[in-house]
Amino acid sequence: MSSTSQKHKDFVAEPMGEKPVNALAGIGEVLGKRLEEKSFDKAYVVLGQFLVLKKDEELFRDWLKDTCSANTKQQDGEITTEKATHFN
Amino acid sequence: MSSLRSKTVKEMSDLLDEYEIKHGPVVDSTRSLYERKLKEAMAKGKKAKPSPDQTYYREEEEVTYEYRTPDRSDGAGDSGSYIRSRPACSEREFKHETSYSNYSRPKPEYGGKEFSDESHMYDLPPTSKSPYLKSTPGPPKEAPKALPSSRLVPLWVQFVFFVAVAVFLYLVFSSMETNEPIKGIE
Repeated sequence: MSSTSQKHKDFVAEPMGEKPVNALAGIGEVLGKRLEEKSFDKAYVVLGQFLVLKKDEELFRDWLKDTCSANTKQQDGEITTEKATHFN
Repeated sequence: MSSLRSKTVKEMSDLLDEYEIKHGPVVDSTRSLYERKLKEAMAKGKKAKPSPDQTYYREEEEVTYEYRTPDRSDGAGDSGSYIRSRPACSEREFKHETSYSNYSRPKPEYGGKEFSDESHMYDLPPTSKSPYLKSTPGPPKEAPKALPSSRLVPLWVQFVFFVAVAVFLYLVFSSMETNEPIKGIE
């Protein structure tokens, strides 16, 4: 199982395309399943949510907590990935 | 207080602004998040209403004042503290208080630097003057004064450096005219 930073590197190495949410850094199986249940089945949908929340980290964290009970470390991984994806 | 679920998008957006909750569009995927945030904010007892702790710039403060006054006629809760804060301070002092907490979180509008300089200047004569005296001449005078101190390198240093360079160049040129080299310049 790859570490968060390795996952992050793999994710930002190329356009995300149709990568699933599990490919996001910080999102493992359990969280991935919870997100998919709420119809956030692809990474780009989560990116969309980040953008709809006006790229505000605080709001995004709250949303992650609200949606799939992510802990701080998972939220951090998510946010780093989203920012890297978007601003690259 | 009617249920948050039944509020329209516009009402939700207005409520979020009232509680100074930064938010994006209220869409399906964000709705429940904002409802939760509003519930928490309300549970805190309407602390978001005009209070000195909030980081607000003057213009925004004035705007929200006018915006909230009609609303306030219905509200029960904190009307006591609200009334207390209004006559107790003139508007200037109110803005002054808010600008104290402003410098820690600059927004793009005014340029945070200007405010941080203002607050530094406020720190200097706290004991000598009374609060009212401090507030009234404060904002207009400090604004023009704050500009020069916003340089990275102080002005006098720049002048000294310029003069030093000028003297150095003069020495170099004068040594070129005469054939004898000046001490220190080979």
